[in-house]
Amino acid sequence: MGLLAPGFAELAAATHYSFLRGASSPAAMVQTAAALGHAGIGIADINTLAGVVRAHVAVRDLAEAAKEAGREPPRFKLAVGARLVFIDGTPDVIAYPATRTGWGRLTRLLTLGNRRAEKGDCHLSLPDLIDHADGLLLIMLPPGSSQHSKLAALAHACPGRLWQGASMGHGGNDRRQLAALAAQAQACGVPLLALNAPLYAAPQQRPLHDVITCIRHGCTLDTAGTRLAANAERHLKSAAELARLFRDVPQALAEPARLLARIDFNLDQLRYDYPDEPVPAGYSPQGWLETLTQQKARERWPDGIPPKMAALLAEEFRIIARAGYAPYFLTVHDIVAFAQGRGILCQGRGSAANSAVCFVLGITAVDPAEHNLLFSRFISEERKEPPDIDVDFEHERREEVMQWIYERYGRERAAIAATVIHYRPRSAVREVGKVLGLSEDLTSRLSSTVWGSYASQMERERFAETGIDPDNPAIARLGRLVSEIMGMPRHLSQHVGGFVLTQTRLDELVPIHNAAMPDRTFIEWDKDDIDALGLMKVDVLALGMLSCIRRAFDFIETRLGQAWSLDSVPGDTPRGGTADVYHMLQRADSVGVFQVESRAQMNMLPRLKPAEFYDLVIQVAIVRPGPIQGDMVHPYLRRRQGREAVHLPAPGPPHDPDELKIVLGKTLGVPLFQEQAMKLAITAAGFTPAEANRLRRSMATFRSVGGMDYFEEKLVGGMTARGYDLDFARRCFNQIKGFGSYGFPESHAIAFARLVWVSAWLKCRYPAVFAAALLNAQPMGFYAPAQIVRDAAEHGVQVLPVDVNHSAWDCTLEGAGEQVGGRHDAGLALRLGLRQISGFREEWAQRIAAARPVRSLEDLGRAGLPARGLKLLADADACASLGLNRRDAGWQALRTPVDSLPLFAAADASDLGVEAAADLPLMAPGEEVAADYQVLRLSLRGHPLALLRRFLPETRTSAQFQATKNGRRATVAGVVLVRQRPGGGNAIFITLEDETGVVNVVVWARLFERYRRAIMASRLMQVDGEVQRSPEGVMHLMATRITDMSAVLDRLSDAHDATPPLARASEDLVHGPSNRKPPPPKPANRAGHPRDVRVIPKSRDFH
Amino acid sequence: MRAGAAPADTPLALIANDRGRQIIRAVNEAALAEGIVPGLALADARARLPGLRALPHDPAADTACLDWLAQGATRWSPMVAARPPHGFVIDISGCAHLLGGEASLVADIVTRLHRLGFSVQPALAATPAAALALARFGVERTAHLPLAALSDLEPVQIGLRRAGLRCVGDLARLPRAAVASRFGEALLAALDALTEAAAQPLDPLQPAAEVMAEQRFASPIVQHDAVRAVLERLLLRCGAQLGARGQGGRHFALALYRSDGHVAQLAVDTAEPQRDARAVLRLFDERIAALNDPLDPGFGYDLVRLAVPITAPLDESQLGLDGGALAETQLSELVDRLTARLGRGRLRRLEHADTHIPEQASFLGSLADCPPPGATARDCPAAAWPSLVPGEPPARPIRLFDPPQPIEVLAEVPDGPPRRFRWRGRVHDVAAHEGPERIAAQWWQRKDGAGLTRDYWRVEDATGRRFWLFRHGLYERETAAPGWYLHGLFA
Repeated sequence: MGLLAPGFAELAAATHYSFLRGASSPAAMVQTAAALGHAGIGIADINTLAGVVRAHVAVRDLAEAAKEAGREPPRFKLAVGARLVFIDGTPDVIAYPATRTGWGRLTRLLTLGNRRAEKGDCHLSLPDLIDHADGLLLIMLPPGSSQHSKLAALAHACPGRLWQGASMGHGGNDRRQLAALAAQAQACGVPLLALNAPLYAAPQQRPLHDVITCIRHGCTLDTAGTRLAANAERHLKSAAELARLFRDVPQALAEPARLLARIDFNLDQLRYDYPDEPVPAGYSPQGWLETLTQQKARERWPDGIPPKMAALLAEEFRIIARAGYAPYFLTVHDIVAFAQGRGILCQGRGSAANSAVCFVLGITAVDPAEHNLLFSRFISEERKEPPDIDVDFEHERREEVMQWIYERYGRERAAIAATVIHYRPRSAVREVGKVLGLSEDLTSRLSSTVWGSYASQMERERFAETGIDPDNPAIARLGRLVSEIMGMPRHLSQHVGGFVLTQTRLDELVPIHNAAMPDRTFIEWDKDDIDALGLMKVDVLALGMLSCIRRAFDFIETRLGQAWSLDSVPGDTPRGGTADVYHMLQRADSVGVFQVESRAQMNMLPRLKPAEFYDLVIQVAIVRPGPIQGDMVHPYLRRRQGREAVHLPAPGPPHDPDELKIVLGKTLGVPLFQEQAMKLAITAAGFTPAEANRLRRSMATFRSVGGMDYFEEKLVGGMTARGYDLDFARRCFNQIKGFGSYGFPESHAIAFARLVWVSAWLKCRYPAVFAAALLNAQPMGFYAPAQIVRDAAEHGVQVLPVDVNHSAWDCTLEGAGEQVGGRHDAGLALRLGLRQISGFREEWAQRIAAARPVRSLEDLGRAGLPARGLKLLADADACASLGLNRRDAGWQALRTPVDSLPLFAAADASDLGVEAAADLPLMAPGEEVAADYQVLRLSLRGHPLALLRRFLPETRTSAQFQATKNGRRATVAGVVLVRQRPGGGNAIFITLEDETGVVNVVVWARLFERYRRAIMASRLMQVDGEVQRSPEGVMHLMATRITDMSAVLDRLSDAHDATPPLARASEDLVHGPSNRKPPPPKPANRAGHPRDVRVIPKSRDFH
Repeated sequence: MRAGAAPADTPLALIANDRGRQIIRAVNEAALAEGIVPGLALADARARLPGLRALPHDPAADTACLDWLAQGATRWSPMVAARPPHGFVIDISGCAHLLGGEASLVADIVTRLHRLGFSVQPALAATPAAALALARFGVERTAHLPLAALSDLEPVQIGLRRAGLRCVGDLARLPRAAVASRFGEALLAALDALTEAAAQPLDPLQPAAEVMAEQRFASPIVQHDAVRAVLERLLLRCGAQLGARGQGGRHFALALYRSDGHVAQLAVDTAEPQRDARAVLRLFDERIAALNDPLDPGFGYDLVRLAVPITAPLDESQLGLDGGALAETQLSELVDRLTARLGRGRLRRLEHADTHIPEQASFLGSLADCPPPGATARDCPAAAWPSLVPGEPPARPIRLFDPPQPIEVLAEVPDGPPRRFRWRGRVHDVAAHEGPERIAAQWWQRKDGAGLTRDYWRVEDATGRRFWLFRHGLYERETAAPGWYLHGLFA
């Protein structure tokens, strides 16, 4: 005893990046090892390097924290490597690069294994390792007793670089096994190295480790048996304990330090080289950037660059040159130039995107000179991080851009970043619940509160809300385990579009994986890792609105002969002569306009009354969790409306009372953007830039990692110490927390605001064009086609029905355009396209177009349209030009043979015998409307409510409601478009639609329990309540009673479901925000009649 | 559905997984009254009715229950067919008069099923398809049936509705050729199946035996002797029928219909054809005596039926019984015989359970209960016994003390080996030891979520006797004074 190994280090530490095997984060492993006084730690996860950057950052943070506390940084060495698991029966080998070369060998080895396996797997064998063993230090792990030959082979291939690891697992015969291992190692001339191969930092984590083991095996704790570890020994142990365990072979305790000493590699050595493709020979990157920018500037301003712009450019060149960022700008420009050459609309956003250089290079359409945006505001010179530019592309054509990037840079130099998929509350409750043996019913009840929550933490109230006692021991245990597992990574996935490009081989920098999508590869580091190491990433993202705008520009060019581009759309400034567009937005007339079309945004528009470009920037950013949680919205509105004096929060003396003027001046003293929160931390709370940087990093991970308390104390404490109001400080922190979940920086809001402007301008001046473009770009945005069409019609656009002889696949425009008043496309009518028919195929539309003029359904059959296509055309009532109504067309379509007999086809004769008329009953108007909704999801005939109004006595239409005085009682009825409960708050918002428009209903939470069923189940809802009209004219109906009138809908037709679908992305209460796919249409036969419904017999024991 | 799952007035739904979503398959009246219908996602239903109880849907149990009901329905006619998921069909041709006509027969069926707690929708029709459809949709005439009665295919239904057709009568009026060319012959066949013209034959639950006898009782019989007497009479009647055919029975099936709907079924097989009432009665006696649960007549049997579905010519030669080698099946036959004699579950053997906890690693399992296919590990915890590593001593004793015996031990802290221990008053000096084998407690089964870890040592005393000891609790990490126990002796 007392035999303390000098400088012991654990060299086989796994982290939770050994998915479902390790239970602790890399940071926890590093911190615990440092706290135990170890000389260092070796982090080695199974066939991956995904966690090593986190460990590296944790070591860096340790040193920083020590420095800040005025302590000597601890002498702690990190070895980063991987635990190689083979498929050929070789015992696991841990590999640590001793040099930069070794690192490259290891990443190539892992890439090799990844690329030849399915996604998420890695196939390696011993010869692969021997091929890639240069510069690697290796530890073969026990059990190796039967693997003498493998040890010998590896020892022969890597002389002096191989150790035999030994561990004492408390299995009962440890010492005999150790002796055997020692003998075998000696026989091979390999030194023995003591380790414990911990899977978690402390023994208290055994339950968590047992739980993830069960998740991995898909079993419960009760049935897991010996698949669980027998004991809690796989934790980081003190040097003293290891000395006791390895007293038989004390020399093994000295080997870790010896191995560590030979490692001369550190992740900081990964130097990043920009690809040199974008720079022509003979130029330096900076030189070429300046040349290119000047050249583009001269093209844009042939009469001379405005002096303000010239000054901006000069200033930016200076900053870019000093930071060495020229290659980055050139790389982004390279990609953008390709897209523009192909006619793909794109726009950059992010901190560096709002620069004069980016504007001149065409990366963004926001003119910084016009809007007084200073580049230096967006780039922090002290931060050694690359600038950030995300580029949005048309969503339908982004793939072209991505494939071009692979082509230009090669797969070995370009790959997508990873996204780490973490356990979230829902998945954590479900999987842990399963492991604990709780019924799926119970866990689903726990994990999905009825509101489809996006809450970040599993809270007590949420358990209680489901009628389950949170103090019940089983539930309490679940709660504890869930909070432990939350934030643990589950697997790696590819980032939505973040590309990493390098000059040298990427696979010598980081291992590359196959993605689930064919032709995609991704690296195993995510955004934070890439930031931490200073690698360059360009986000190539998809944006539906760009597709819509491009289609609109195309329409305007072909139909009206005017050419527009993102940066030529005029006047987002007050003097642009575009007051009509701002007036439209101020009226909340914004269906389809980018970013400001949601109900919440529509409520904000009349209050904020945007009148210039920067107002749009604020409008985009203000309806977000950050400002809302920070309670910053109302103060801002009051100040903007002049109801409250603008005053800047000020510190006490001796600090400069105006210190926040630069930070908050533009937003009337109220912090609204993420950047402002960061600057506030530095200016008002005395954060160092490095600390603010850590705050920013942890903002993104607040949900998973915690660390909130530390920053809360530091920020609130720091601000109050400087004399700020405590309440203001608290709100600032809450806001930062809000940004954590949905951060929205000003630099992105500016780029988005430009698209808000362009789309609003299109909608205002070219309503027919805009509606057609929007319909053709579906699915996107907030509204279903029904609302888009209706909105167009309300703006005077003539909408023509789908017709087999007139409609193309896309919606088209008919007639000649002219300018009448504010509308520039008057005279153009919108012809609905065949794409509006749900289930119709584009290729069918092409066949129809080729067969025109179409005279009969048989013509279509001969043109190769399958029976399903014919039926859909008939059901869509698209055969009017054939003289067929819906019912007759349907009856004919059922009969028309599809694979037309060639003989008859050649003779061009009708191959169907003449048939007696079936004499089918006529379709009632209600049935027509219902069928329209079912097939087209919209009806030009009228709104169902117009037909049903007589069954809804005493109700007002939306138009009548809008004219009702404040405080009056009113009853309205309408089809439910949207149900929302923002942030699980006190109010439920319901949007009803009728034949004249929409009514916004507010239900207070206390009424909810009483009318829960009607609220949740109604397709047609009747609401009694009190009218509330805000000074800005925003109307709400404050509900007092809610009635489910869905049965009335059935009066339209017993054959068709007339329910218009819920608006897309409407955050339906049950399914949560759904910005992915529109929900599939409900099947027509709802088991409506009780007799059709299966009823469970009253229970009784059958014995 | 078991009794006690939920009170009848609690809304209840049976759910099943459908592509990752939980979908309601069936509901009770209370849930239906709240607007919860099958097909709804559970999440949606809960959003409307948070108090909704949900249990997993078990289609196999549904089918079994339906079969059980259909079995019981053979009391009214031997021709009964279950039609999952919701119904069964009884061919009452020539049976109605036994219960005083169709109306009282239907009344009897409804009354009995109500008594069992089922809601019933009866229908009488000329064909099975028509009867099922009328019952399912609750209409009186086939012409009024909705079109769903003809086809489950959604496209067909939509097509018919789009044409403005509402019910079977509307379709029947259309020219057959026009229907066939649009919806295929299958629809016409379904239409015809509703009329007598093309009635599909019933495939009954059990083929009607040619040799059969039954007796009904106005007041149910309860006494065992009375049942036996009835059985003997029925055997005699069947024997007479068999004699007339020159045949003997190989399988005799007795059905005892309880007035509450339950049917007890007993059958005996004979190795050779048999029609001697007394011999068969003896077999039934043995069979009844061997029953695990004695026959429970409840409130009595009101119908007893004996059928002889398998017969053979009586003069068939006997099976050879010439001994020969023991068949592989003999063990299982022995097990069968012992089980028949001793009762199910009485015959046991030691099984291995997959766990680290030594005293839970073996248990007595029933030899007869082979795990049914699809059984989960929880139902059947038995696992393969671990094989011994060659050259290694046994890790654990064969038998363990239950409970482990407390001993006094001299040992090193924190986790050193025992040096000397006292057991049953005798002091043993430890000459050799190996360990520890560290086994932690099953935290999830303990209230405190932790429990003490055991360190097991194999030790040999000075006289060469070997013991299995453990220290209970990790020193300092879990307890200040770990106890010591002797858990077993090595042979």
